[in-house]
Amino acid sequence: MDINNITEIIPQPVVLSNIDDSPGPCCMSFGFDLNPLIQSIERVGLINPPLLKRDNQGSITIITGYRRIKALKSLKADRAECRVLSGDDILPIECLLLNLYDNLAVRKLNDVEKGMVLARLIPRIKTLEIMEHYMPLLGLPSNKATLSSYLRLEEEMGFRAKESISQGQLSFRNAMMLLDIDSISRSSIIDLISNIKLTVNQQRQVIDYTVDLSHIEGTSIFDILDEQSVKKINSDTRMNNPQKGRALIRYLRMRRYPSVSKAEREFKKMVSKLNLGKMVRIDHSPSFESPYYRLEVLFKDGPSLREKLENFMREDIDILTDPWKM
Amino acid sequence: MSTRIDKVILGEGVQKYSSTKSILLRLKDIPVRKERDGSPEEVPDVSDEMKMDMGKDTVHLVSYQGEFLKPCPGTREYICCGYQILNVGTNCPLDCSYCILQAYFNRPNLRVHVNLEEELSQVFQTIDSEPDTIFRVGTGEFTDSLALDPVTRWSEIILPGFSKRKNAVLELKTKTANTRGLLESGYRDRIIVSWSLNSPFISRREEHRAASLTRRLECARECQSAGFTIGFHFDPLILHRDWMDEYKRTVDLMDKQIEPEGIIWISLGSFRFMPVLKPIIRRRHPETSVLDGEFVLGLDGKMRYFKPIRMELYSFLRELLNQWYPDLGVYLCMESDEVWQESMGWTPETSEGLCNYLDERVRKFFG
Repeated sequence: MDINNITEIIPQPVVLSNIDDSPGPCCMSFGFDLNPLIQSIERVGLINPPLLKRDNQGSITIITGYRRIKALKSLKADRAECRVLSGDDILPIECLLLNLYDNLAVRKLNDVEKGMVLARLIPRIKTLEIMEHYMPLLGLPSNKATLSSYLRLEEEMGFRAKESISQGQLSFRNAMMLLDIDSISRSSIIDLISNIKLTVNQQRQVIDYTVDLSHIEGTSIFDILDEQSVKKINSDTRMNNPQKGRALIRYLRMRRYPSVSKAEREFKKMVSKLNLGKMVRIDHSPSFESPYYRLEVLFKDGPSLREKLENFMREDIDILTDPWKM
Repeated sequence: MSTRIDKVILGEGVQKYSSTKSILLRLKDIPVRKERDGSPEEVPDVSDEMKMDMGKDTVHLVSYQGEFLKPCPGTREYICCGYQILNVGTNCPLDCSYCILQAYFNRPNLRVHVNLEEELSQVFQTIDSEPDTIFRVGTGEFTDSLALDPVTRWSEIILPGFSKRKNAVLELKTKTANTRGLLESGYRDRIIVSWSLNSPFISRREEHRAASLTRRLECARECQSAGFTIGFHFDPLILHRDWMDEYKRTVDLMDKQIEPEGIIWISLGSFRFMPVLKPIIRRRHPETSVLDGEFVLGLDGKMRYFKPIRMELYSFLRELLNQWYPDLGVYLCMESDEVWQESMGWTPETSEGLCNYLDERVRKFFG
């Protein structure tokens, strides 16, 4: 059929209970909030009629308007004005594209939904065309690495992980890091991320540290996160979430990088033996990689700088050395 | 190591090169097909399919349009040896878990630059234009120097030109036992054959498809007996359980096979990698232990062992090698002045200083 003529189909009342509203082959909605749509329909009614397909056996599936049908059903509506096509009139790929463009016209898809779109396009459209045409439409870079990542997300991630991604709790990049770990461990990380509301950077660190630790210690990520030390941080009522996040990262980092952490502690201890005052600081380079340390002095004028430097020189600065040489 | 080539791809315009003809003759039972337009369908990104074998069984003959001779991409933050890379091909049929090539090239397959022979004159022109400079040239940076030699016969093509130049040496760096081509050639002068070595544990667990440590050292002995100058590279040094005993076992094996006075140099380099390599290694080599150490971000943006750990590794190896023979030309690859001083007891201070040290080794061995 000429899909440009869809709008010429006259809407007709359809009994909502006859419509199959399980996420079908055209569906590209995940993790959405139905409430704004419900409120809109309550206030001004259904503006755009959904597009449905009736097959030879009489069963009705949704081409466009999945969320509208859901909203109408939750409003306990009996029937709704819909455009209905016969199954013979339209090809599956046309249904899919109608739904895609219908969605793209009114909203931005989340990462899970983009994965759904690409997974549905893959069997029907050449990879090259998907990359050149459809990925830019979805706001994605046209390369196979990205395509492959989104397909893996759709195919391999469980509901809980997808929910976290669609709600913005788990970043797409970090979700990719979770793909290669077992589902129990994955769930325990996602639970932790959701409970403590870790930042994107903290999520990356937790995943990285726990994956490494599970390899090094020969234990599962689930077991690491189920340990008393982690549970204690998670359930500490004296800390808010950002504090818990920092405490967790500190704990895991110390365990993953014992020598680096020890050097940092020793360095701190060494510097604290000097009476530097508030306006003078001594820092080491990141992970001590540079051979140099940094002395920072805040001062108002020349005489105050002289005073601070003289005080500093009176301290036992000879104790300063690389902490691993102590 | 036996090559397991099961496919040959011909790049655009390669049929005119004599190397193409001789390679196809050597691979006469392997199916050959032409590259089609280089479309994304035809040449996928390696990055998207990290599970794939990176085309390690496919020889892809290409006409390389870039510079054949290029300085090693060192960084100014660390002391670099000033090596020159002769870019004969990219990717490698071996499959070492730690290999940086897994993240380095965005195209799969064993890419053989079949226009090498035709472009060599340009390379030698560059070398001849600076008669006071010693060019230390190697082919083992973007591939193993000898892994494909039975097919490509790079040794036949390259050796003659280097052997007769007085301001260059050619180093062929390998983890294989493919030395027949070399041994059959008549060229010895200014040719260095070197083997990458590791502890038996790392060699066994992480250096897939490579020759065993013992076999590598047997080949080194054969080459040494046949008049070749040899070198070794302990790179990457990897921390693992009983690493001291394990590396000592390797040096003991060297002692059994090799005459140390015939070694021009031994480099030491600890495992370092671009951050992007980590997920690739995890994916392609899930059983690996090379990522277990305490890696920090280096000044060059690569991950490397925490400094005191590197110092301990180098000090230990330096002492071990020094006990074996005190004049092995041991040097550090991409390390800081501080690490040099602490672990080697001296420092070349700058990249220029290290170049001078290695050039001096060249003069000592080849005049």
